[in-house]
Amino acid sequence: MAVGCEEIDEDMKEYLKDEEFMKAEQKQKLIDKILEENIYLTMEIQKLETELQEPTGSSQIKEDIPETKMKFTSLENPEGDSRFSNISCSFQVSSRVPYELQKGEALITFEDEEVAQNVIRMEKHHVNIMDIGVEVMAKPVPLNSGVRFQVFVEVSKMKVNVTEIPGELPENQMRDKLELSFSKSRNGGGEVECVEYDKQAGSAVITFVETGVADRILKKKDYPLYINQDCHRVVVSPYIETHLKKFQVFSGISKRTVLLTGLEDLYMMDEELVGDSVNIHFQRPKNGGGEVDMFKCCLSETCVAYFQE
Amino acid sequence: MDSATSFPAPKPRLLPTRSQTMSVTPGPASLRRGSLLRTLQEEQAKLKMRLQELQELKRGLRDSPQDKVPFPVPEVPLVFRGHIKEDMEGPKSLVSNLRISYPLSGGSALIIFDDPKVAKQVLQQKEHQIQMEECRLRVQVQPVELPMVTAIQVSSQMSSQTVLVSGFPAKLKLSEEELLDKVELFFGKTKNGGGDVETRELLHAGVMLGFAKEEVAQNLCQIGQFTVPLGGRQFPLKVSPYMSGEIQKAEIKFQPVPQAVLVLNIPDVLDGPELQDVLQVHFQKPTRGGGEVEALTAVPPGEQRLAVFTT
Repeated sequence: MAVGCEEIDEDMKEYLKDEEFMKAEQKQKLIDKILEENIYLTMEIQKLETELQEPTGSSQIKEDIPETKMKFTSLENPEGDSRFSNISCSFQVSSRVPYELQKGEALITFEDEEVAQNVIRMEKHHVNIMDIGVEVMAKPVPLNSGVRFQVFVEVSKMKVNVTEIPGELPENQMRDKLELSFSKSRNGGGEVECVEYDKQAGSAVITFVETGVADRILKKKDYPLYINQDCHRVVVSPYIETHLKKFQVFSGISKRTVLLTGLEDLYMMDEELVGDSVNIHFQRPKNGGGEVDMFKCCLSETCVAYFQE
Repeated sequence: MDSATSFPAPKPRLLPTRSQTMSVTPGPASLRRGSLLRTLQEEQAKLKMRLQELQELKRGLRDSPQDKVPFPVPEVPLVFRGHIKEDMEGPKSLVSNLRISYPLSGGSALIIFDDPKVAKQVLQQKEHQIQMEECRLRVQVQPVELPMVTAIQVSSQMSSQTVLVSGFPAKLKLSEEELLDKVELFFGKTKNGGGDVETRELLHAGVMLGFAKEEVAQNLCQIGQFTVPLGGRQFPLKVSPYMSGEIQKAEIKFQPVPQAVLVLNIPDVLDGPELQDVLQVHFQKPTRGGGEVEALTAVPPGEQRLAVFTT
């Protein structure tokens, strides 16, 4: 305790305590505020890190695939048995590479690659927009990398996944019980080719000799497993394998789409009118342009444009 | 009294002077708060610096696409077709070439009706009795359910044991197998700097090779350039690191094809063409809930077929 403290009277003590309390409260509030800010900063950093795909780490691609209507196209009669034991599904996934269009920038896609390359070579373009001469610069579009891959899904017609198998019996015995129960045709089963049993997970994969048995069993969500006198209902589900093939990271390069800059000062004007003027300018061969497939300009706010194959 | 913002007015005498308040030793809680505050403030300064660093990096990368990934990757031409963020409520990736092959076993038939409502009506009855001259055929019907991937999660990371061989000329007169064989042969030899090849795959613009030993892959990447004999001539090829992908999660839902009906357990009494006719006649009768049939294929007993569905 410092010198002179004993002289401080009760009121002073009261006051100091209260002030200390107030300071403490303020400090606590400040602490809470900074904690919150730090959490926000950490989130922003994480977002940027994933975006920039720091090469040392790994990155994730998460995709929700919308419902697609399938239609019957053809009938095939291939050689060999292997293709009949699964329902096979395959598709290709290719990233749409985003480009953040800044205010005053525009994207123009030409039908002809030659025209696009020529526009870029010319660099400076003098465009007349509503009687105002604007210097528009043409550049190639800097694009990020994307990924493409193929997905293969095989749903077995010969196997079923079994889960929630009780662990009361030793491994070999349970395997036999599984084979016996799944062979009973009165329950929808059929001749079993083999049983893979994981006692710890309480799961198994049953392979049948013939196709059709799996389908029959999967009409219901569970199946009766007989252990001595008791009947347990185990859960059955389709046996599905997924594979990824031809995974490739690629660098996007835009050959037909050109980046136009220099429209920043026109933000007060009507975006559509400006867009039309620029678009028309670049459709004219005498301006070095040609047939335009797509045009998008950004005057008032940034927007994200997607590039695809 | 709002305790946070006001404090009791000091009594007239003995107003605390600066020195006196500072002479009151702060209690342990206050000390903790003080150092916590300092730590947090320091942390915030570091976070702000890191954020600025990343933002600058992002700006830098935008303007110099060549340095985007630390290793060379093949280029794929992309085009802007008008898709922008506002109207993209769907996926960020393009899904294409969706193809499903569905096995049809012997003694079954696939019927595609013009009108999905007709299919729905036919499916309401699990068993159908097909009237013929001398007898009746008892068959079962069920919908055609196709496995559709509704969500997928793929993780990618730098693979230490695989490399990408690129720089192949556009018009090589080699089949896929021949090309893969020649590349594997070359890079399988230690005298070329290679080693035991475990996996190989032909990609859009290159060949992926997976080696048994990490050092081989790393060594090849370091050398970088090779002259490889392909089909009689020598070609300069590049070897770079490969980023591999793995499916972490795939959500699959079974979706019925609205116009399709699968007919099962057809008794083996008729020949192919005759059976086809009988089925068609039966399922086209509106009195039996049937309707116009777009396509009908019957699979003879003992045989199998694959029905192919696409978008």
